[in-house]
Amino acid sequence: MLEFRNVGFSFAGRREPIEVLHNVSFACGEDEIVAVIGPSGCGKSTLLSLANGLRTPTAGEVLVDGKPVTEPSSLIGMLFQQSTLLPWRSVVENIELGLEIRGEPKGSRRAKAHTLMRQYGLAGFERKYPHALSGGMQKRAALAQTLAVEPEVLLLDEPFAALDAQTRAVIENDVVKICRAGKRTMLMVTHDIAEAISMSDRVVVLSRRPATVKEIYETPLSRRAANVADVPGMPEFAQFFKRIWNALDISITGMSSVA
Amino acid sequence: MMILSHRLLVIIGRLVVLAVIFVGTELGVRYGVMNQLFFSSPSEIFKALLAQWSNGTFLQDTGITILETLLGLCAGSLLGMAMGLILPQLRLFSNVFEPFLMVLNGIPVIVIAPLFILWLGLGILSKIGIGVYIVFFAMFIPVYTASLRLDSTLVDALCVMGASRYQIFWKVVVPSSLPSVYTGLKIGSGLALIGAVIGEFVASRSGLGHMILYASGTLDTPTLYLGIITLGVFAAALSFAVDALGPVLVRWRYSDEK
Repeated sequence: MLEFRNVGFSFAGRREPIEVLHNVSFACGEDEIVAVIGPSGCGKSTLLSLANGLRTPTAGEVLVDGKPVTEPSSLIGMLFQQSTLLPWRSVVENIELGLEIRGEPKGSRRAKAHTLMRQYGLAGFERKYPHALSGGMQKRAALAQTLAVEPEVLLLDEPFAALDAQTRAVIENDVVKICRAGKRTMLMVTHDIAEAISMSDRVVVLSRRPATVKEIYETPLSRRAANVADVPGMPEFAQFFKRIWNALDISITGMSSVA
Repeated sequence: MMILSHRLLVIIGRLVVLAVIFVGTELGVRYGVMNQLFFSSPSEIFKALLAQWSNGTFLQDTGITILETLLGLCAGSLLGMAMGLILPQLRLFSNVFEPFLMVLNGIPVIVIAPLFILWLGLGILSKIGIGVYIVFFAMFIPVYTASLRLDSTLVDALCVMGASRYQIFWKVVVPSSLPSVYTGLKIGSGLALIGAVIGEFVASRSGLGHMILYASGTLDTPTLYLGIITLGVFAAALSFAVDALGPVLVRWRYSDEK
């Protein structure tokens, strides 16, 4: 269970503090996938850095299982947009990185990494270096790296933005399946409305900076669909999409001024 | 078949070039086309080698220059690597020291060489000192720059996994500097040799630089060429050895491509 309680965050500006987040409150329960969506530059990534313990809120608090997050903890794992596979380590060495940091003995962490690699369809690539893997496999390896320490909460920062459409559809489905199977709490930040509706149980729409929670939509389609890729084809999808699009209030005046 | 014949051609071509140089200078000098004061024939250079060898100075001079170069290279590289890795971790120190290091790096080694002779004497120590001085910067600058431009996503990822500063240093900072260490070694190996010879030129009692300088002063052209050729061969061997370190230091870049 991950909870944002009246969270605010501002950093020192030249003259006065710049407020990035203002009074953000929402929760993300166990076995629940929540997507956060908002205009670009609104502080979505800042929100995640408050949840993973790299930053501390300047107001309110972020709670995991009722305890405030003050520093990184093994309860929280994060999948980043860019690759976090260390290029000088083989794939299996990368997957056991988190366990190694926690001081787990070599034998048992290697065994865990091998199990994960088989589960994630990476068997046979143990001794390859990350650059030898395709984009989709790299993402799967990064996911295995994040989940190897079995965090309760999984944070995702636009993790699929750099993938091609087909790979993306497959990975999105894998992530949802893995999360549902492990009854994990998952919070993802995205700018893609379709992705948000397809993967999550709830979509939190943030406003422009300083970001506050503008709307929260229940999006039950993901749980009903057998595959994430099926969601956009469902009859109710267009309605959800339109409502969220309107809430986002994306300015398209740029084009009319050109014409 | 095609590749084999190409490689064969290259080898034959190289041998031909070598033969032309050997025979050309030999005949040119013997028949007076090339002045004996400015050029030496291979046979005369070989005679000079035999003379230097028999009185024991050739091996001693060569050995001393090689020793100075290798010690300067090793010590300078280690020092440059350590400083390049540690200084960026201490932001205050790096900001304080940066301009001083820039000035030191800008001073041409030839003008600082007499100072090392003054401090460390005429022997091998002053040459190693000069080598350390120039190799240090060849290693420090790329490693320092790489450490400053560390991939912050990797650092963040390890932080989220609960890594300590110490763990981040050894698991991210050090390995990501290895390509720069390799670059530093490549540049440094050439500079170490230059440093040793410059030191010998300024003041010395032995070494290949001393041998060259002495030969030049006594108009002993064959020995002068002998010194130059020996330095060239050693420089080539050193650069070959450093190149071979690439697949060891940056294994992941040399491993199976896609």
